[in-house]
Amino acid sequence: MRRLAVTFLCFVLNGAETGTPEFRNVASEAGLTETIPNGGAASKQFIIETTGSGVAFIDYDNDGLLDIFLVSGPGSASRMYHNQGGGRFREVTRELGLTHTGWGQGVCAGDYDNDGYTDLFVTYWGQNTLYRNMGGRRFEDVTEKTRLKQDRVRYNTGCAFIDYDNDGKLDLFVANYLKFDFNTTPKPGANPYCFYRGLAVNCGPRGLPFDRNLLYHNEGGGFRDVSEQSGISKPAANYSLGVITGDFNGDGLTDIYVACDQTPSLLYINHGNGKFTDEALLRGTALDENGKALSGMGVAAADYLHQGLPSIFRTNFSDELSTLYRNRGGGEFEDASVESGMGRNTRFVGWGCGFFDYDNDGWADLLVVNGHAFPEVDRLHMDIRYRERAILYRNRQGNFDDVSESSGPAILENHSSRGAAFGDYDNDGAVEVLINNQNEPPSLLRQSKKSANHWITLKLEGIRANRSAIGARVKVTAGSLVQTGEVRSGGSYLSQSDLRLHFGLGAATKVDRIEIAWPGGGRQVETALAADRVVTIREK
Amino acid sequence: MTPATSLGVLLAFLQSDPSALGIAEFNRGDYKAARQHLQQTPSDPQAAVFLALTRAATGECDAVLPDLERRFASTQPKTLHRLTGLALAQCQMSSKRFAAAGAVIAQLESDYPADADALYISANFHMKAWNDAIYRLYQKAPSSYRVHQLSAEVFETQGKYAEAMAEYRKAIASNPKAINLHYKLGRAVLMQSHDPAAMEQARKEFSAELSLNPFDAVAEYQVAQILATQLKKTEAAAHFERAAELRPDFPEALIAVAKLRSEAKRYDEAVALLERAVKLQPRAEVAHYNLMMAYRNAGRSAEAQREKVELEKLQRPPEGEFTDFLKRIGEKAPAK
Repeated sequence: MRRLAVTFLCFVLNGAETGTPEFRNVASEAGLTETIPNGGAASKQFIIETTGSGVAFIDYDNDGLLDIFLVSGPGSASRMYHNQGGGRFREVTRELGLTHTGWGQGVCAGDYDNDGYTDLFVTYWGQNTLYRNMGGRRFEDVTEKTRLKQDRVRYNTGCAFIDYDNDGKLDLFVANYLKFDFNTTPKPGANPYCFYRGLAVNCGPRGLPFDRNLLYHNEGGGFRDVSEQSGISKPAANYSLGVITGDFNGDGLTDIYVACDQTPSLLYINHGNGKFTDEALLRGTALDENGKALSGMGVAAADYLHQGLPSIFRTNFSDELSTLYRNRGGGEFEDASVESGMGRNTRFVGWGCGFFDYDNDGWADLLVVNGHAFPEVDRLHMDIRYRERAILYRNRQGNFDDVSESSGPAILENHSSRGAAFGDYDNDGAVEVLINNQNEPPSLLRQSKKSANHWITLKLEGIRANRSAIGARVKVTAGSLVQTGEVRSGGSYLSQSDLRLHFGLGAATKVDRIEIAWPGGGRQVETALAADRVVTIREK
Repeated sequence: MTPATSLGVLLAFLQSDPSALGIAEFNRGDYKAARQHLQQTPSDPQAAVFLALTRAATGECDAVLPDLERRFASTQPKTLHRLTGLALAQCQMSSKRFAAAGAVIAQLESDYPADADALYISANFHMKAWNDAIYRLYQKAPSSYRVHQLSAEVFETQGKYAEAMAEYRKAIASNPKAINLHYKLGRAVLMQSHDPAAMEQARKEFSAELSLNPFDAVAEYQVAQILATQLKKTEAAAHFERAAELRPDFPEALIAVAKLRSEAKRYDEAVALLERAVKLQPRAEVAHYNLMMAYRNAGRSAEAQREKVELEKLQRPPEGEFTDFLKRIGEKAPAK
């Protein structure tokens, strides 16, 4: 009798199964065993040691299986792992020519030259690197050739490919954190901005000079810095980290949201004439509900309420709440963090984050990975620690339940995590999560028992639109379930998730209708697609 | 005249004027030499003041107190008046004449509101008064609940919330009817942790405070906030409304109720509440921010823009010595 009652409780929403997940860290058995260095492990002298690094799921050789890219700090090149199938990955960094080393920060992907192979952009404190994908066999550093070499050392962080003028060629946005120099930055304890709860810690970002964000226009064959003329260089009083793109005001143009540390976050609204203006404050995405600028790190966006509108989620520092900005239409947002169930977790410093439907019930759930900025915090012996567990929120029709404690051992592992990327690397319909942990091997979170719910994954290919279909918006209808999504480069914390779109379908065994709004204005409708498969849709 | 010649003239002048020499030695902190020179010109009124200051600085407070009192009460040049007041207050504190010292310090703070020395001596005076009062409390009423309450408050200022909670609990056990203890315990619990169990524990303490004092608007507000976090929206709303009813001058409660009105799309009511909150706390960013959003939601774009400008003004970092210092650090050219 008791067993019957439990079984009944597990099937409640639209006939969809909503059981408890069990995430396990399978990084070691997958072959991801190398430590990714990132500054000091026990103490950090400079802020540069705290911010790296991102990760990416990309299918660089078009074999239909997601490969893995891990951005590294000094001491190792950023590493690429080829997906061999069967849950195994093999390191291919050197043979692909991915040689650049340094203070690696972020990564974003997109086919900037429309040759059918996804290219890779890696940000650094120093000089960024654009790797052109040469037919899936190797990568060529084309930074200088494409005029992306910078005139000075910059602290580049988040990035995203974006076709802001809908000309079919991917442009590039690069966030800049601040002006940093090892010789001039004060040491821990040097001034009041170099303390945390009485501990001398690395200085900043407050007290360190601002830098400005960058926008490069793809001219075909090379890029041109249009930061000034586009308005992206203004304002220049923000410490920019995570980046996400999306059509946030529903005008068909891709906008840019930037999570900013200790300063108001930015929402660059695309006016369609090559100009952007930051409208975050009045649109309600700059501050929290108390009018305070928080320490924004990572960012994600999703139509978590099935309203057809992308809302924005941002991770922040400890003693702050993560912020969920609900899109109320017309590009206006309101802080819905507390009322949606995210008002309890204040002891974590959040970084990577992403909406993903882990149980395929048709409602986008949310994972946040955590870890304090200061290893020294462990000396305080309090409930805020350098290495922390993740937080998993289950989306219960727009309300989020914290299910971290009952979602398997991988969620409860303590790491100082930064980047996180989301993708179904074995194409079994359950999305996995790749996490970069400071000075540890990465984590690869996989569900050991798969939901019985149905799903579909869409790979979009632009023809008039950019080949990666970045900026394409999709509406998926399966029975009474109507979801929307958008193909995005960048996102999370300095990371790149699968460019394919994954939708949980609950009990539905087919998708009734898919409507695609391609960047540039093309519209396309597909009907009656069978569930539980990866479907490629080419622009007509 | 060359700089070297100027210095020579100045030295010659000082050597010929014992008063000037004495004042210079006083300013250098060489009180022995100052005294020797100043005693040579007893008829010079300025030298007499500096001699009194010198004696005060070398521990002869009792002897010079009447002189300093008389001089502080009389009209003098501002610099001398300030120095006399500082010396007088210091001497009165050394002589345990605290009431008189308090009056002089109040006068100094009023006359020189931004003077670091005046503020320092005031801080010293109040710190001493605080220490003395604590000592008397522990000596004369060691078993009072107030001893535990005070210990808890000290632990709180040190960030030792577990210890503070333990002391508040002892205070409550000693005097279960005392108001404010449950409130402070609840607050310490929240300072320690925001996990669900801690929140629930804090809510119980705030509720206990309300059962002792049903008119405590701040406790009502705290209960409401926790209930909101626990997604008990209806219950939370009732407590927010009650907090605002109890204290119509409580800006945070007005803001919370305004948010409820906004959620119900009663934007005009929200705006009215927030305008009141801004009037009560014109420098509160939270009030301006929420008013800006309420105007926006009500479609009153011009007013929303006006509030945006106000908010941006408030959010500018304070300009001052420290900010300038940091700017200088930040703008230093990177090494080549």
